[in-house]
Amino acid sequence: MARTGSDGQPPLIYLNNAATTYPKPAAVPEEVASCLKHPVHEHGRTTGTGSVDYPSAAREALAAFFHAGPPENFVFTQNATDSLNILIHGFAKKAGAPFHAIVTELDHNSVLRPLAALEQEGILRLSVVPFHDAKVSLADIKKVICPETRLVVMTHGSNVLGSLQDIKPIAEYLNANDIFFIADGAQTAGNTVVDLEAIPAGAFVFTGHKALFGIPGIGGFYIADPDAVAITRQGGTGTDSQSLAHPVEMPMRFEAGTHNYPGIASLYAGVRFIEETGLSEIARKNRELTYAFIRDLKKIRGVTVYHEHPELPVVAFNIAGLGNEEAGFILANAYNIVTRTGLHCAPLVHKRIDGGKGCIRASFSYFNTLEEIRAAADAIREVAGYENR
Amino acid sequence: MRIVKSVQSKVCVDGSLMKEYVLDEPLTEEFLGFLENFGTVRRIGQLKKPYFSFEKEHFISIRGFAGDSNVEVRYKKEFTDLVADYFHLLLHYYDEGEKGIAALRGIEDSIRQKMKVRL
Repeated sequence: MARTGSDGQPPLIYLNNAATTYPKPAAVPEEVASCLKHPVHEHGRTTGTGSVDYPSAAREALAAFFHAGPPENFVFTQNATDSLNILIHGFAKKAGAPFHAIVTELDHNSVLRPLAALEQEGILRLSVVPFHDAKVSLADIKKVICPETRLVVMTHGSNVLGSLQDIKPIAEYLNANDIFFIADGAQTAGNTVVDLEAIPAGAFVFTGHKALFGIPGIGGFYIADPDAVAITRQGGTGTDSQSLAHPVEMPMRFEAGTHNYPGIASLYAGVRFIEETGLSEIARKNRELTYAFIRDLKKIRGVTVYHEHPELPVVAFNIAGLGNEEAGFILANAYNIVTRTGLHCAPLVHKRIDGGKGCIRASFSYFNTLEEIRAAADAIREVAGYENR
Repeated sequence: MRIVKSVQSKVCVDGSLMKEYVLDEPLTEEFLGFLENFGTVRRIGQLKKPYFSFEKEHFISIRGFAGDSNVEVRYKKEFTDLVADYFHLLLHYYDEGEKGIAALRGIEDSIRQKMKVRL
């Protein structure tokens, strides 16, 4: 998709899709506009019936997309971080007594910080599993499991290294051993097939504004057994309003207050776009872009690529002699190439790969082109070849 | 030279304060030469736009492009309050030429004294 620059700038090349995708499919803003043009329609909150019941329609679309049901077990939240907070704090509340929990070095602060806060409060003891060649295996996790282990939270795909984690055997083992497993699919939902019928995770977290092509402010999770997680938020649900106790039924159990209808509409349209385009076609194109970029980067002297075989469209790299933020600044302001620099809210990954200094991350979506990837690589070559080296 | 607009945001990695400024005129080679009196200026000239950075330990760092009127200024986390005006001082004393260099060095000494007390 051609995007022109302004004020003599080169055309915008947006390579920050792991943060939030841009552009969105045309159907997404159209659906949002349509949602805003009509009165809200959701059973229990209005007597109106003339427009789309977006929460119900989106839940059904998500259930089909992730091969999981019932649709009511899909809960809408603000984003993946919100989902993880609801699940982690709710699970800890349900557990009652202190317990042992496991995370991995690949995890995002949206996982690490809620767990670290609970550890500080003495509610749990936390173990961090290291990664090898960008992956965490079941064998690695088994090494730290103890009789007190009740919870494992881990990313399905690294937001820094782009490595897809094989969570199926992990989910199967944990499920069989009564350990609650939360998979963080912020980077995988919409980028790769997630078949929750085959992966018995306790909960699967997603966000709407990345590869699912929704707008920021919408996310959610699927929970297999809602009783595993206590209610931590209470409020209006439009149901059982005589009772001062928050409903335990799904999805109201975890949804208090008015929904983000435009956000849900965008997620609904995003999922439909993926279904219509074909997830395999999206994944194929992303793979083509990612590997073309890596091939080009590997030819540039002074560039270090931290994981050369990502399954997700994410490439982490640094340029010798330039700080990552400095390089990102130059790419953005001189070449109009948007990346993300720093720690990507995943400090433990960076401790391992770059001594905690951070890196430049380029991340792609279906709407990037090979021409953009080549232009980005050319710019990086120019920046890496500066004369003061 | 003066600031016509500033936007504040946080830096992800070290939590230091970052501000983006829009100046009323483009940054010149002459200004970069002035900066060299106070810290290290690095130039990378053969890019699409001529990049420069300025680094002054414990004070601030600046990034920008010669010929642009936008700059990014980072204030070192440990002394943010003491160096909050430092970029403004650079702009102010630049207009005063040689006299400005001496005056700003005097102000720097006093800021350093306060840093020492804090350390």
